[in-house]
Amino acid sequence: MSRRILNVVINGERHELLIEPHWTLLQVLRGQIGMMGTKENCLEAECGVCTVLLEGKAVNSCILLAGQVEGRAITTIEGLGDPEHLHPLQAAFIEHGAVQCGYCIPGMILSAKSFLDENPGRQPTRQEIREALAGTLCRCTGYGKIVDAVAAAAQRMAGKEPTP
Amino acid sequence: MSFDLHRPSSLAEAVALAGLFGPGARFIAGGTDVVIQINRGKIAPAHLIDISLLPGLAGIAATAEGYAIGPLTTYRTIERHAAFQGPLSALVEAAAVVGGHQVRNIATVGGNIVNASPAADFVPPLLTLDAVLDIAGPQGDRTVALRDFITGPGKTSLGAGELVTAIRFARLAANSATAFFKEGRRKAMEISVVCVAASLTLDASGTRCVSARLAVGAAGPTALRPERAEASLAGQAAGLTSFRDAGRLAAEASSPISDVRASADHRRHLVAVLVERALTRCAERIAGARP
Ligand SMILES: Cc1cc2nc3c(=O)[nH]c(=O)nc-3n(C[C@H](O)[C@H](O)[C@H](O)COP(=O)(O)OP(=O)(O)OC[C@H]3O[C@@H](n4cnc5c(N)ncnc54)[C@H](O)[C@@H]3O)c2cc1C
Repeated sequence: MSRRILNVVINGERHELLIEPHWTLLQVLRGQIGMMGTKENCLEAECGVCTVLLEGKAVNSCILLAGQVEGRAITTIEGLGDPEHLHPLQAAFIEHGAVQCGYCIPGMILSAKSFLDENPGRQPTRQEIREALAGTLCRCTGYGKIVDAVAAAAQRMAGKEPTP
Repeated sequence: MSFDLHRPSSLAEAVALAGLFGPGARFIAGGTDVVIQINRGKIAPAHLIDISLLPGLAGIAATAEGYAIGPLTTYRTIERHAAFQGPLSALVEAAAVVGGHQVRNIATVGGNIVNASPAADFVPPLLTLDAVLDIAGPQGDRTVALRDFITGPGKTSLGAGELVTAIRFARLAANSATAFFKEGRRKAMEISVVCVAASLTLDASGTRCVSARLAVGAAGPTALRPERAEASLAGQAAGLTSFRDAGRLAAEASSPISDVRASADHRRHLVAVLVERALTRCAERIAGARP
């Protein structure tokens, strides 16, 4: 079974890669491109640390065949912001001390972004935020502050609170 | 472990490829069952045929008789569909408890049906709606009732190269509601220990049952319709007594196994409790929707 060419747009940049048909998007991101922001853990979509956005929607890259994203747009945590230009979610996670060991945070932030972008401008309840993050596990169990951070970011993204 | 991945651009091409490769081929939609089964060594297809981007197979359409759901429709789309927030809310309730958002953004309802797990959450609500499946294949098109389609754990009546192209069901009668309950060992990211869907129609006064349809998942080799429990409700006063009796009959009709998640006894108990609860919720919903 032969290698094939994969064309994919990652964080706005076009990539042409040589892949095996059974490689997952996670393997391509970490192994081929060397983007380490997307984490690897359970490899069965249970824990959410491998979350990326596929055309804006959070999905588990550990069980997504790379060949299935041919021609499509992927966003990883590296594409969200940088230290000078933090995304409101990233800023809120820092402000609220929502990061402990940090391993789950890329997945948390991208799951939250996918969810908040479904209804721009609407403030979700804490319960809705918890449900939106249920597919992303934090074994430091810092969920309270993570929910605080997402709620604050939602407010800021809706323009109801100025970015400091 | 390896395979070739094919990406047909039309339904006809997908069916032709499947016909060409025969039993060594599998369709892949969201891949949330298939990829894990391959990784665990449970299946080893030589060819995967990616149907995830085939045109016209995703989305929900209102039809003359009711609704047609495309097999590639994701759970998150079902959950957020405005027309399912009323009497058909069992569909929303079942979709909303499949995995987490990441799974629900990509996993499809067609995949849930064809994977035919006895614990598939989206199957019981569709069974209570008497859903039918449209199927395309090398031998032509056919339509089959969902209840005849799933024949055992992981088994369906799908022939080689056949593809589900639509899931259809009729609109509910007046004074009807549906409900879905799932019991797992935790609230999210959990396979059903038992799940139950109910569809109840009351008379114009809202006090007597005209008809009820029940479906129970994870309590037998396939999701089942407990027919004696359904029949017991016809003409009865809607309320705790008749709902509890129906729950007991549904538990008797189920044939659960004991496994790592729960014992057979516990599952049977849950069937009775969840059937009563689902019928009660339907009755509340019908009452709540009355002018
Ligand atoms: C973390 C996690 C949590 C989960 N939680 C739940 C849960 O709570 N409840 C639940 O019910 N399921 C759950 N699942 C299972 C799975 O997500 C669902 O069964 C899902 O609906 C499968 O859809 P898919 O598109 O991913 O299917 P795929 O994996 O792409 O396909 C599944 C099977 O269906 C076939 N197929 C798919 N579409 C068609 C079609 N149109 N015509 C013919 N054959 C087709 C494929 O060939 C394959 O055999 C979970 C999975 C994961 C990974």
